[in-house]
Amino acid sequence: MAVKDKLKEELFPTIWCPGCGIGLIMTQLATVMDEIGLDERNTVIVTGIGCTGRMGAYMRFDSVYTLHGRTLPVAEAIKTVRPELNVIVVSGDGDTASIGGNHLLHSIRRNPNITVLCNNNEIYGLTGGQAGPTTPKGTNTVSSPAGTVASPVNLQGLVNTNPQAYYAKTTVYHQGQMRRAIKEAIDWPGFSFVDITSQCIENNGRRIGFPSANEMLMYFKKEYRQAPSAARHLEHHQLGIVKGSPEAAVPVAPTAGGDGHSAE
Amino acid sequence: MTKRLVQGNEAVLLGAVRAGATYFAGYPISPSSEILMQASAYAAAHPELRFLQAEDEIASANAIIGASLAGAKSFTATSGPGFSLMQEAIGYAHKVGVPCVFVDVQRVGPGTGMPTMPGQGDILQTRYGSSGDYTSIVFYPSTVGECFEYTIHAFNAAEESRSPVILLSDAFLGHLNEVVDLDTIEVPVVPRTLERLASGSTRLFSGVLTYEDGEPATADADEFIRQFEAARLAREEAARRYAFYEYGWNKEADTLVICFGITRRISAPLAPYFALFRPIRIWPVLQDELREVAGRYRQIIVIEGSEGQYASVVERVLYRDVQRVPLLGGRMSLEAVREGLDRIGLLPAELAAQSASPVG
Repeated sequence: MAVKDKLKEELFPTIWCPGCGIGLIMTQLATVMDEIGLDERNTVIVTGIGCTGRMGAYMRFDSVYTLHGRTLPVAEAIKTVRPELNVIVVSGDGDTASIGGNHLLHSIRRNPNITVLCNNNEIYGLTGGQAGPTTPKGTNTVSSPAGTVASPVNLQGLVNTNPQAYYAKTTVYHQGQMRRAIKEAIDWPGFSFVDITSQCIENNGRRIGFPSANEMLMYFKKEYRQAPSAARHLEHHQLGIVKGSPEAAVPVAPTAGGDGHSAE
Repeated sequence: MTKRLVQGNEAVLLGAVRAGATYFAGYPISPSSEILMQASAYAAAHPELRFLQAEDEIASANAIIGASLAGAKSFTATSGPGFSLMQEAIGYAHKVGVPCVFVDVQRVGPGTGMPTMPGQGDILQTRYGSSGDYTSIVFYPSTVGECFEYTIHAFNAAEESRSPVILLSDAFLGHLNEVVDLDTIEVPVVPRTLERLASGSTRLFSGVLTYEDGEPATADADEFIRQFEAARLAREEAARRYAFYEYGWNKEADTLVICFGITRRISAPLAPYFALFRPIRIWPVLQDELREVAGRYRQIIVIEGSEGQYASVVERVLYRDVQRVPLLGGRMSLEAVREGLDRIGLLPAELAAQSASPVG
């Protein structure tokens, strides 16, 4: 097998704009899948709506292209019915953190053994560049001409409300680190989330002053720094992994005389 | 098993189990919550039934879609506003061709409305609630035994049509307890029809219009029409095998009463005075059967728990006016039926003379 066997190259070129970051994620995902032996008999891909949602169509797997925001309930149900399958969700920040935000909140606490790869380009690209849930405060977009007024969703904080979950922050520039994070996340025995900063040059980058996708990648290279390996929390523009522990204590049902905490 | 008291909602759960359901997702909402609770209890004792109490009805609806694609016969149960929240997913399941069952135990809407009172205001929502054109298959039983029976038919029709099938109930029927021996109700079970995920093929299950190879067909009207027609024909063909209705009461009368679900039960004392047509398959509408039966009667009355949703459908199908007896605000009683008939001048003298009783 080879990486290209994971892709439906006969459908290339993809619909993604020149300079888009999604292809870089797809390449690394396909590489990991090849490396660890994921194929159409042991793995299902679930994608949402947005540019990222098209990825399932280009991969040689059974793939569910869900409604906008609904990847997680679909993916969780697949994993429940077929625990032997690897279930990999690939979606954008808007699908995952805005319209799908309630499902994200509850998937995190249910801790299903699924992996979420979030193409976090900080914009609604497919619909033309409107502000999204992870758009940095003050960003000028086609729906926020005076700059966005809300803070971005804290994905790391959200995922880490579950002490048994896995969270990794990476970017499409840091390909090696992204690949390692994807691999670890798929191996993780519980909810795993890879938050991948990427670029949308067409519907965001140029408006905020980047002449090309390359400048955006160079910006990721310059701005993002590796966090210390033992970090329990990643600072702004830090790359790294905040792993919970599958054995971490979680609150349990109260019992008379109990302390309300127990390893589960 | 022997005869015992069974509740309408419980009969739905037991019917689903009999039909081979192995996945339930739901969110608590009156008056359907007993289905959720009993599914949880059943699942605890029988792990082959997977159970999820989801964060909301949107998650429930999408979860049963995922479960079905993964290989499970799956279902959810809800009511009123919860059913409205599921409409987008129902449209998706129609587009993709996902067999699954949605149970809607109707209450009085719109909005939060009257959560514990029976209504029948979702007749049109079950047909037109999601965006776009699609062909719904919907059943509406009117006894506890039928709740069991038609739940099995709903699962069978879902498999044969590869579409989401809706089982209607209502607060009254769902909470009704009747003595019934469910073991005497035999409905053959249709096996799964959809090849489950990860069976070796590389399919794209897409809510977006695509060609066979997965490429978007989002600007191709011909492709849309081809897929739309194929889906419509498949569902209509499957529905033909489920053309359930009841025709009875006094067939020699000159007026036909049409009612369904709990209004059929409430209207039982009208039997000596009217003929009865009760559609059990609400959608696709029983057009040929309705035309044939209605042609024999001078007048038609539709008694229903809405302002006239089904009456408008009957008028459209028959090209003639029908009288309406709407039972609104959860006032489902023989008294309300009497008042309604009196208002349109069609209350039989004998019935008018009888003293009021709350339930027929």
